[in-house]
Amino acid sequence: MSWTWFHRLGSPPYVYRLARTLTPWFAWPAALLIVAGLYGGLVLAPPDYQQGDGFRMIYVHVPTAYLSIMIYTSMGIAAAVGLIWRMKVAHAVAASCAPIGASFTVAALATGSLFGRPMWGTYWEWDPRLTSELLLLFLYLGYMGLRSAFDDAQRADRASALLAIVGLVDVPIVHYSVIWWNSLHQAPSLLRLGRPTIYTASMLVPLLFMIFGFTLYFVAVLLMRLRGEVLRRERAASWVKEALAS
Amino acid sequence: MNALTHFLAMGGYARYLWPCYGITFAVVFLNIYWARRLIARARSEARRRIAMREEWIVEETQA
Repeated sequence: MSWTWFHRLGSPPYVYRLARTLTPWFAWPAALLIVAGLYGGLVLAPPDYQQGDGFRMIYVHVPTAYLSIMIYTSMGIAAAVGLIWRMKVAHAVAASCAPIGASFTVAALATGSLFGRPMWGTYWEWDPRLTSELLLLFLYLGYMGLRSAFDDAQRADRASALLAIVGLVDVPIVHYSVIWWNSLHQAPSLLRLGRPTIYTASMLVPLLFMIFGFTLYFVAVLLMRLRGEVLRRERAASWVKEALAS
Repeated sequence: MNALTHFLAMGGYARYLWPCYGITFAVVFLNIYWARRLIARARSEARRRIAMREEWIVEETQA
């Protein structure tokens, strides 16, 4: 197998151009999927037999919560690749993930809180799922804070990468917390073997549309941030003048 | 009750459900805005650097 594609991904000008070309290919399908998911979730899906119309909050709560841990995992992997292969672009990917992930963790906590009030009778509970998700937010904030504490980009990359990798421990804790401990939070709706809690296609399909749409949306925003991040790091490089002209 | 008010009432969950959607889409659009701002700032910073360097080259050749 040829590894040239991997080496090309280490080249900032190549990545800058690739990111620009790919962004609309993720952004437009994302917009279509999210609009379809919203229509399916808010209009077509029937009310839940227990939670009534309140259950429709899952169409934003599940995608935001899923993004919060998926983005952290992507950030940890990118940081590890950057550390192992000394790949600047991988560090730029990790740095680009952090603010997006942090904002979706806030959204997951806020939507969960609004979901919890009518269903559990409380906005907040120190339950394992909620606590580990809050820890995830602090990991993102710690990562961003650590990066901004260094003037030198390389030192910032290395120190923050270690934090990102160590923090990966929290990801399985968030995911399995509802299975390992008898918690207030309900069990997974989708990733449960044999018996998903969502039965009907009219409830399930919009959720899958939203999850897939939010994933593509994340890639599009990540590619945009990556362009800014690469340009910021490479502002003194000779390819930048050419790239700015086109 | 007409169809729209029925829809907006969300079976009594409106005061929790709509803020949920509002927060999520605020985050969605804020991320697009932040990413665009990051690119714009990086571009203007790079342009400033290029202009500075070219000015410096001109001064060096004149001296």
